[in-house]
Amino acid sequence: MLTFLLKRVAFAILTLLVASFVAFMLVHLSGSTPGGVALGQSATPEQVHAYNVSVGWYDPWVVQFAGWIGQVLQGNLGVSLIDGRDIADDIAKRLPVTAALAVFGTLFSAILGIVLGVVAAVRGGAVDRGITVLNGILLSLPAFWVGVLLVYVFAVQLRLLPATGFVPLHVNPEAWARSLILPVVTIALTAAAGIARQTRASMGEALAQEHIRTLRAIGTPTTRILYVHALRSASLPVVASIAVQFIVLFGGSVIIEVLFALPGIGQAMQAAVGSADLPFVQALVLVATLVVVVVNLALEMFTIALDPKLRAS
Amino acid sequence: MTVSTTSIVRPRRTEPRLGRKLLTSPTALLSIVWLVGLVVASLTAPLWLAHGPLEQDLSAVLQGPSAAHPLGTDELGRDLLSRIITAAAPTLFIALLTPIVGVSVAIPFTLWAARSARVEVVMNRVAEIVLSLPGMVIILAVIAAVGTNMPFVMSIFGLLVFGALYRVFFGQAKSLHRQLFVEAAAVDGVRPMRASLRHVLPNMSTTVIVQFVLIFGVAIGMQAGLAFIGLGPQPPEPTWGGMIQAASRFIFQQPWMMIPTGAVLALTIVAANALADVLAGGSAMPPPLISLRRRRRATGDAATAEAAAAATAEDVVAFTDEIVERDLSVENLVIGVDDGPALVTGVSLRVKPGTVMGLVGESGCGKSVTSYALLGLLAPGLSVRSGAIKWGDADLAQADERALQRIRGHEIAFISQEPTRALDPMFTIEWQLAAAVKRLRKVRGAEAKRVAAQLLTDVGIVDVPRVLKSYPHQISGGMAQRVAIALALAGTPSLLIADEPTTALDVTVQAEILALLRALVAERGMSVILVTHDLGVVADICDDVSVMYAGQIVESGSTRDVLVRPEHPYTMALLAADPHTIADLDDMPRLASIPGQVPPPGSWPAGCRFSQRCRFVTDECLTAIPLTARVVGSGGVRCVRHDEVRGRQEEWRTPAPTGGR
Repeated sequence: MLTFLLKRVAFAILTLLVASFVAFMLVHLSGSTPGGVALGQSATPEQVHAYNVSVGWYDPWVVQFAGWIGQVLQGNLGVSLIDGRDIADDIAKRLPVTAALAVFGTLFSAILGIVLGVVAAVRGGAVDRGITVLNGILLSLPAFWVGVLLVYVFAVQLRLLPATGFVPLHVNPEAWARSLILPVVTIALTAAAGIARQTRASMGEALAQEHIRTLRAIGTPTTRILYVHALRSASLPVVASIAVQFIVLFGGSVIIEVLFALPGIGQAMQAAVGSADLPFVQALVLVATLVVVVVNLALEMFTIALDPKLRAS
Repeated sequence: MTVSTTSIVRPRRTEPRLGRKLLTSPTALLSIVWLVGLVVASLTAPLWLAHGPLEQDLSAVLQGPSAAHPLGTDELGRDLLSRIITAAAPTLFIALLTPIVGVSVAIPFTLWAARSARVEVVMNRVAEIVLSLPGMVIILAVIAAVGTNMPFVMSIFGLLVFGALYRVFFGQAKSLHRQLFVEAAAVDGVRPMRASLRHVLPNMSTTVIVQFVLIFGVAIGMQAGLAFIGLGPQPPEPTWGGMIQAASRFIFQQPWMMIPTGAVLALTIVAANALADVLAGGSAMPPPLISLRRRRRATGDAATAEAAAAATAEDVVAFTDEIVERDLSVENLVIGVDDGPALVTGVSLRVKPGTVMGLVGESGCGKSVTSYALLGLLAPGLSVRSGAIKWGDADLAQADERALQRIRGHEIAFISQEPTRALDPMFTIEWQLAAAVKRLRKVRGAEAKRVAAQLLTDVGIVDVPRVLKSYPHQISGGMAQRVAIALALAGTPSLLIADEPTTALDVTVQAEILALLRALVAERGMSVILVTHDLGVVADICDDVSVMYAGQIVESGSTRDVLVRPEHPYTMALLAADPHTIADLDDMPRLASIPGQVPPPGSWPAGCRFSQRCRFVTDECLTAIPLTARVVGSGGVRCVRHDEVRGRQEEWRTPAPTGGR
């Protein structure tokens, strides 16, 4: 078990290295240079060159990459080329916004998806067909368009919730919650449909297993068969699908944060990409991969804890 | 071998099937019409659109639909219809790059990995890394590096879906490789690469096309999302994402603006996903094993309340270890597929307390279905059409779920063929046994655990503490069958229905389980219905036996009478085909085989259902045959010629033309 855990952690580190290397190479193969971005249009080529030399841009890339990794390990992600902000500080400030969006989005999509999937599998017939069609539509609708529609209904027409903007939790918890509702629902709908599909299929498979007949034959009540036994066997693939959906959902936060003007790391990513703020982009790829890898590792451990066969080995 | 096996086992082509799938599905046709229509309209746009996509009219900004602008105008007075249509072809063509790149990268690596174990290890790791990269963030980093060159960006996205595609493709390629025809091709000297291309790839075509279409849909959404956050093609070039972004800015002034673009974008992705769905064959679920929905009974509220009251009264009756002695008598049971053929017709059985009834026959004769019906465990879509299952005063064929729930486990229990699969793999043996004991014996925690341990001791398990803590996958098949029997005994039933309880077990373990069943019958006065195709098992343990053929009982009686003096040709044939009986007949070493197969339900011959396979068939056999009394002993036989043919079972050992006319 311990060796398995160590293997997974080693693999997670490998994934991080690959992601940061990809980001590093992208930045270096791009047409822009740090000097060009930082000094702007007005700078002379000599000034740009001098700037680039000062940040080590012309060093061998192995040296640069190793240097960057070394800095990262000390918690130093560099400074923004645009306004000289400390990137690590900025990301730390933004992380709570994105974390709230991702955590509540994942929770909401998991609950909604599991409920829809279970109802579809258990009720069958017209209910099942209805939910299947709903899932198909939710999977197809672009989240940002659904978000705009939700804004129109709940913010513009009903005036129940703010259209955009964000209030930090420590400033006003109620306003914080209200500012998160629409983004969370928007980001969760697609993921919920994906989880619902998996739940329905897994429940269906679970109910076709031989032991269900045994349970019935000793008089086990239907509700217990469904919600203790079938749901328990369905839980493994469902948790795995939540892990997959989290990656998609986390990536989607870039669009959702721009749409709802949430000051999270997704919004920072959009801004950094738009202004070619290369160190910022590189740092954000690393942080995003770190989040995804850590969450997946946690969910994988959870899956192992759920599966008696894996737990034993 | 000189004959090329590859020519014999050439895989079937899948394309015609796919084509038919598309043409017969209205959803698929509609989706194709939508996608193709959009592209055609877009490419011919300059010919028929009244306004150009960049044509501004500042006197008509933010308008709703009108005759001049069927879908309205945007903030610069540009025609929305024109912009949407113009944007369509570039959007769809660029989105195609993602699945093209993804599939063309994933397929060679998949085929390579499916052939070589070393490559497989590496590729699995690579796929896992790619899968756990946040794709959206990587794509944004690509845009930061190369700018908004959409064909390039969407091609890179194709590389990022490699992980997902590889997973799907590899699973299928691997199983295809294991299939006989590919191995046959390898033996035959076809080079691996050729084998992959000729045998594996064509059989994967449906999966590949489905994934291609799905990724295409994802790519359209991704492209629009990027344009929405301003990282797609730059204005004034029309893009769907960019237009929705503009609409969101003017949502207070002109909410209409987001409808046409959003709807077209959504419908396009819906079309792609629907197409993939049809190609993949829909989202059918495996049917559940048992019907979980309650059977509706036409009873008034008063009756229901009364039944509920009775149920509560019965439920609180203290548990006793005493076995309630009841006869089971099945009368003329007919089971059929709803809107389909009958599976079992006119089955009658009588099981007296403390006796073992064997139900024998070949596979497909309706033995298991009959045994399921006794406890209301029929699969959905099957039901009892007529007849009675009398259990004491109750008729289980008519009983509702509530009544059946009081019988199941408490009075009648069931053990199945596959002991290792009969237990829930997710819970320990102790948890499962204790849960059943708690419910069936109305006892609490510690006492339930004590009873669970006692039950395991009763079924002859030696290392009880270890087995209690085990999960089903940690114990052997024989052990699992003992646990399953313990589970069935948790409610001290008076009748145990055992559906081929020893078929999946080793011969030595079989004997142990039969000995256990025999001991339970002797000690507890329990009765057993033993479903089996093994006459040795019947001879070993059964008091009475009923032989089933094609949904009917063809012969019944005491085991001694039926096995020693069979009167039905089918029973004779079964006996002559049973290897166990050879030992007694040194001079008759030939093992009989019964020609033909059990006719499937719905195509039973009129008259005697065995007539097509029977060597004694005459014209008399072509009319319906009733069950008549045996010549020797009690019981029945369904053969008009049984008096003439009895005693002639040895004739089955010589091959001869039979029935089949």
